[in-house]
Amino acid sequence: MSRFFHGSDSSSESSEEEELYSGDEEAEKSEEESEEESDEEEDEDEEDESESDEAGAKGGASRFMKDVSDEESTDEEDKATVVKSAKDKRFEELEGTVRLIENAEKINDWAVISSEYDKLNRQVPKLIVDAKVPKLYVKTIADLETIMLETIEKQKVTPKKMNAINTRGLNAIRQKIRRNNKDYEKDITAYREDKESFMREEVIEEVAPAPKKPRRTVLDLGETVAGADEDGFTMVGAGGKALQYTPESILKHLRTIVESRGRKNTDRLEQIRVMERLLDVAATDYQKIRVLLTLVSTRFDLTSGTGSQMSQEQWKLAEQELSTLLVTLENNPDMIVVEGAEEWEDDEKQPQAKPGEKLKIPGSIVSFAERLDDELTRSLQHIDPHTAEYIERLTDEGALYTNIVRSLLYAERLKRDLQLDSSQDGVNRVVMRRLEHVYFKPSQVVTILEDNTWKAIPENLNSEITPRGQGADITNLVQTLCTYLFKHSEGILRARAMLCQVYFLALHDQYYRARDMMLMSHLQDTIGNFDVNTQILYNRTLVQVGLCAFRAGLVYEAQHSLQEICGSGRQKELLAQGMQIQRYSQVTPEQERLERQRQLPFHMHINLELLECVYLTCSMLLEIPLLAQTGSSPDIKKRVISKTYRRMLEYHERQIFTGPPENTRDHVMQASKALAAGEWRKAADFINAIKIWDLMAQAAKIKAMLAEQIQEEGLRTYLFTYAPFYDTLAVSTLASMFDLTERRVAAVVSKMISHEELAAALDQVNSAIIFRKGVELSRLQSLALTLSDKASGLIESNERTLEQRTQGTANAFERQGAQRGGRGGQRGGRQQGRGGAQGGARRGQGFTGGALGGAIKA
Amino acid sequence: MADSLRDASLREVQIEALVVMKIIKHASQAFPTTITGSIVGMDNGDKLEITNSFPFPSIELPADSHQDSSSLSAAAPRAKANTSYQTEMIKFLREVNVDANNVGWYTSTNMGNFVNANTIENQFFYQKEMNERTVALVHDVSRSSQGSLSIRAYRLSPMFMSAYREGKFTTDSLQKSGLRYQDILVELPTTIHNSHLLTSLLHQIPSNPPNEPLDFPPNLAALSHDPQVSSNPMCPNFDSLDLSIDPYLEKTCDLLLDSIENHHTELNNHQYYQRSLGREQAKITAWQQKRKAENAARAAAKQPLLPEDEWQRLFKLPQEPSRLEILLNSRQVEQYARQVDGFTAGVNSKMFAVKNSLLPGEGV
Repeated sequence: MSRFFHGSDSSSESSEEEELYSGDEEAEKSEEESEEESDEEEDEDEEDESESDEAGAKGGASRFMKDVSDEESTDEEDKATVVKSAKDKRFEELEGTVRLIENAEKINDWAVISSEYDKLNRQVPKLIVDAKVPKLYVKTIADLETIMLETIEKQKVTPKKMNAINTRGLNAIRQKIRRNNKDYEKDITAYREDKESFMREEVIEEVAPAPKKPRRTVLDLGETVAGADEDGFTMVGAGGKALQYTPESILKHLRTIVESRGRKNTDRLEQIRVMERLLDVAATDYQKIRVLLTLVSTRFDLTSGTGSQMSQEQWKLAEQELSTLLVTLENNPDMIVVEGAEEWEDDEKQPQAKPGEKLKIPGSIVSFAERLDDELTRSLQHIDPHTAEYIERLTDEGALYTNIVRSLLYAERLKRDLQLDSSQDGVNRVVMRRLEHVYFKPSQVVTILEDNTWKAIPENLNSEITPRGQGADITNLVQTLCTYLFKHSEGILRARAMLCQVYFLALHDQYYRARDMMLMSHLQDTIGNFDVNTQILYNRTLVQVGLCAFRAGLVYEAQHSLQEICGSGRQKELLAQGMQIQRYSQVTPEQERLERQRQLPFHMHINLELLECVYLTCSMLLEIPLLAQTGSSPDIKKRVISKTYRRMLEYHERQIFTGPPENTRDHVMQASKALAAGEWRKAADFINAIKIWDLMAQAAKIKAMLAEQIQEEGLRTYLFTYAPFYDTLAVSTLASMFDLTERRVAAVVSKMISHEELAAALDQVNSAIIFRKGVELSRLQSLALTLSDKASGLIESNERTLEQRTQGTANAFERQGAQRGGRGGQRGGRQQGRGGAQGGARRGQGFTGGALGGAIKA
Repeated sequence: MADSLRDASLREVQIEALVVMKIIKHASQAFPTTITGSIVGMDNGDKLEITNSFPFPSIELPADSHQDSSSLSAAAPRAKANTSYQTEMIKFLREVNVDANNVGWYTSTNMGNFVNANTIENQFFYQKEMNERTVALVHDVSRSSQGSLSIRAYRLSPMFMSAYREGKFTTDSLQKSGLRYQDILVELPTTIHNSHLLTSLLHQIPSNPPNEPLDFPPNLAALSHDPQVSSNPMCPNFDSLDLSIDPYLEKTCDLLLDSIENHHTELNNHQYYQRSLGREQAKITAWQQKRKAENAARAAAKQPLLPEDEWQRLFKLPQEPSRLEILLNSRQVEQYARQVDGFTAGVNSKMFAVKNSLLPGEGV
């Protein structure tokens, strides 16, 4: 921009500058002051410049280059004093890059050009001002393109090859330019048509608007700066006016602040300081409320970027101010802050509510509470969870929770007031926030939190939704909050409330209630349509239900619930507890940033290692008997419960030397091996040796439960593996082998028999198991079954193709026939299967190869 | 045209017993490696008489070679070294007065899994380079070991020959030529021919010559109905009563499942192709429409029109995968199905024959 021409007739100006600075330094040393001054000074410069530039603009491009060097020299002279604006610096950088490119062009070094060109492109977006690209940049890329084309032409003609690096650079440049220059096509053509006028035009048009803008900011600053002054200094603003804060002028000041909100050059910290002072001066509650509202929102504005979080002190101040605000509102029942109220235009006069009505002030307490909550979460995300700082920060949650409850009380008050017709939405949002602070904590913790909160709230206030004193019964509290949301909200909030309640129930070992609620919600069908955060909550709930089932000893259910999350191998991502480095997929920085934002703070995490341990243990208890059962038959081979577990097991088995187990996975794998070999005692030892069980409540009970499960599954595995070698087997033998009661063994065996997993009968008189022989499908039979399945699959796919080809207008008769054929085949297959399974009785008529083969062998 | 006429005239194949024995010996020695060899003989009208054979030398592979020896020897007939070996060999054979016409090649197979690119290429090589009237003899080792000799003669159909010569097996070309998997191979009926000398020898093997002098036959008719002279000298053959059914069917089932698996792979390839083709075509249509709109605008502004066929340069359609694999696979499945069919026909009758003695309570 025009600043670039800053030093055009340098000597006189630089001296002027120096003068100015020396004067400044004498007067004030404080930082803001000098900053402000420098701004002002720059402003003046600009004015000078605009004149001088207009005069000397005819120099065009060549002049331009010289100027820069001039300016640099002046810069060097007064390096100590000149405060370069960021923009100027960037321009210098850009300029340097351009020069490098030009040098490289001269020596035909395309590798350098390529890298510099990249740099150039990175620098430019920062310099684009209201869609206007720096001319220098346009010039460079236009020239570069011309030279590049020339070089390529030359390359074609001359037999001599460039070296490889250069060629690569050239090709890279060619592609990049082709892509990039499209964006600036217009400018480039303009430049090509008339280089001179292009560069000149820039000078004129750019300079014109420049002087106006800074002046305005100066005025603003002048006013705000005045606030910094402490005791009665008469502040002299830029206009030379004296500034003083009086209760009367508060609203006026506020208005200027509000107006400057969102502008670029406003110093928010400064504004905050002004407002703090205003707050001290404020006489009436109305003024107080107004100031507080602006102050809190300005504090939030301090960190508008998504990447940064609020500093702790700012957060604390905001939190205190919010609570002051709430107290003020509580004390003044006839003043309310509502969204969508009309602004009071007159700054001079205190607004008066009509009799019988309440004074409405625009603002939103609920949003403040939400924002405060978000900011805390964000800062927790950024603090290393293993430091004391994290814990310290976490203690702020209590205050936050109090504020949320108070906001809830306030929202309720608004809601009660029929006149106001305030929306349900606000109450719902606060209730949801409150619920979100409660649902993942054990009830003891919540009790303490509740107690503290109610202590902090004045006695005379009480909540309708959750009356005081309910804090003792947390289950009831959660229940109440959720029920309220079920009744009064819909869509996402309702689903979230449901999930929170399920989570809470699961956390408190009420598996059946949690499961029933989870199933009744039918969320699993629609969860894909919800936003990501709700999906994460769903995953968390699912996992918690799984863990709850495990604690209740329901291995199958636990495995089933955990399967989806843990089987994917992306637990971290699915539970928003950390980023996963994905090897094969490219994640754009944008996505990564979003993902980072979604991460849960550490204290909400579900222990992943424990999760994996539970999942693997459950998988082991289910998979090992299944492996023994399927053996080598080809058709059942596909029934895999947990692919992840299978893969680990295979990997473990491939190892030549297995050392003593080190981590959880090793323990489970070795236990699996022992269990498969029938050594249940060893397996139980391995599982019990896992340290992480201690993290669960009632670890001893869980270990006992696991040991029992292992005994049973060991028995099942044994029966599956060795049944073919027995004719009869005494129940007492089994009982002693697996250290189970005979009743238990009989129960397990009966279950297996009734599920047709074991071809045997239980002789209760002699208490023995009598095995039947020759009932398994022969290999040929199972192969034939597979083949018939495959064939019907082929037929089906053929039909589909036909349907696609004919757009569904194919001869209906023909299709029906084919379908019937397919179904017939399937039915046949199934019948045959059953025939095989019940072959004992039907051997006389069953003229299948397998049965007969058996007869021949016999 | 003349070729196809001559083709049509080749209707049957007659193999000398010597050739059969040589092939069996060669194949069973090298089992389970596939072996190949050359056959010589002469064509006699519509009958091809195969009178002798010799194996191709087996290639000694270095121990660390990654190539499968089986696949190498399967490709042997069209290997350059073997072609010269074959001509040399035939030259020598001529010197000992053997028929010195190369009439094809033989190969061994296991459970009939010979329908693959190798076989097709070999036979194509023979039918194209050497002589139209050549056949491939396929000897199934594992089936022969079950009691019944399996040796078959195949040729490539003229339709397939022309398609293969062009080397194009796209959906379009297949639709145009109407080539189906049934049309790849033509099987020729084979007979085994023994020389008279050999026949008489065989007739004398089973029984010792009678000690006392025989009565003279009263007439010529009695001579042909002599109970002591059976018509089939190798009878009775108890091998064919073998009742083990499962192994054979299991093996075939396995192979069938493999083939279906292959089919699915090919299907997926093709679907992938179709999807990418669809995408590309959508892009081209979009481009064309854009160009058209642009041209319309240019025409309105009286500017020169842009060429509309530039898309051929800008976009590249994906290559359609060859359908040959699918054809061969289908043919292979058919081959298996036929084998099972043939096998069960025999087995069923055997089953009925033994039914009574096997079923408890009924047989006694």
